[in-house]
Amino acid sequence: MVELIGKVSKGSKMDQIYIPKNRESIPVGSYVIIKPLETEKQEIKPYFYKVSIEPIKVEIIKNIMQIIDRNTDNENIIITGSFLEKGFQFNDIDILVIGGNIKEEILENYLGVKVHIISIANNALIKGLETDPLYNLMLSRCVSKKRVIYNIKRKINYKLLDLHLLKSKINNFESLKGKEKYEVVRNMIAIKTFITKKEVSREKVDSEINKLFGLEEIKENLIGKTEFNKKYKKIYTETERLIMEGIKNESK
Amino acid sequence: MSQNRSKLIDIFVGNVSNSVVHRILEKAIDEENIRKHYDREFLTSLEIAKRYREKINPKSEFPEKDAEEMKEMIRNKVKKELKKRESKGYKNINFDLIDSVMDEILKEMRIIKK
Repeated sequence: MVELIGKVSKGSKMDQIYIPKNRESIPVGSYVIIKPLETEKQEIKPYFYKVSIEPIKVEIIKNIMQIIDRNTDNENIIITGSFLEKGFQFNDIDILVIGGNIKEEILENYLGVKVHIISIANNALIKGLETDPLYNLMLSRCVSKKRVIYNIKRKINYKLLDLHLLKSKINNFESLKGKEKYEVVRNMIAIKTFITKKEVSREKVDSEINKLFGLEEIKENLIGKTEFNKKYKKIYTETERLIMEGIKNESK
Repeated sequence: MSQNRSKLIDIFVGNVSNSVVHRILEKAIDEENIRKHYDREFLTSLEIAKRYREKINPKSEFPEKDAEEMKEMIRNKVKKELKKRESKGYKNINFDLIDSVMDEILKEMRIIKK
C-alpha cells in the first residue's frame, strides 16, 4: 500500500497537507486517513524507590512520562502519593514536573483519572527537601524518569516548621474523615521526626503512626474519640514545645 | 443560642483563628514557604471552618452584634497565639494585620457583608 508523508501547512481558513501531483495512487476525491507520524519512541525505564506496584500502573506511569516529555521540556518527572499504594483506592496521581509544566487537563483527558501536577524548579525542590519533612516523605517513596540523587543537608527552620505544624492544629476531629485524620497525624509525626533528626521516610512515619494509633484504624476512622484526642493532644503539645524552644534558641 | 449552635460556633471560631494565625505568620517568616507548591491538596483549617459554617444559622450574614462578638473571640485567640510566639523571640509579627485578615475570611464565610 502506498504511503505518503506530508507536512501540515497553515492556511487562511483551513490548514492543508500538500502531496505530489504525480502519484501512482490515491486519486483526487478518495478519502484518506491522516494521523501523526510517530517519531521513534525512546523507551522510558523508570526508577522505582521503595515502590512495588501492579504492572498496569507501571504502564500508566510510562505513558504519563511520555506525554509530559512530548509536551514540555523538563529535568525530571516524579510520581508520588497514593497512586503508588497497592490497589486502586487512589484519589488522583501526584506528579512532580521538575523544571517544566504541563496542563493537568492534557493528562486527565488521556488517562481519565484526576492528576495533580506540582511544577517545581530543581532548586526549589532541594530547598523543600532541606527544610520540609513533607517533601522528604514525598520522595522517600516515588517513581522517577531519571535517577533521583540529592545530597541534602537538613536545615531546621523552626518558624517554617511552626507554620507547617499549624496544619495539624485541629480543634475538633468530628468532621474529619479517616484519610484526613491520617494526613494531619502524618504531618505532625513527620515534623516531630524531622526535628529530632531522625530519618523521615514514609515507612518510618507510618510505622510510628501504627505504634501510636494503629495505621488502619486511623485511615478507616475506627479509633475511639477520647483515646485519639488524648494521644494526639499530647504529641501535638510536645512537638509545639520543641518548636517554640527552637525559636527561642534561634532568637538568642 | 442553643448549646449545639454555640459548640459549632466555638469550633468554627477556632478554625478561623488558626487560619488567621497561619496567614500572619506566613508573612513574618523570612524564608520562602516551599510547601505552597504542594499545599493544594492539604486539608486546611479554612476548609474545616467552611464545613462548620454550613451547619450554622443564619446562612446569610450574621446580625452586627453577633458578628462583632465573634470577631472579638477570634481577635483574642489570634492575639494569644501570636503573643505566645513573640514571647519566644519570634520577630516581625505584624499584629496590625489581624483585623484585615480576619475580615477577609469572615467575608468569604458570609459572616460579614462583602
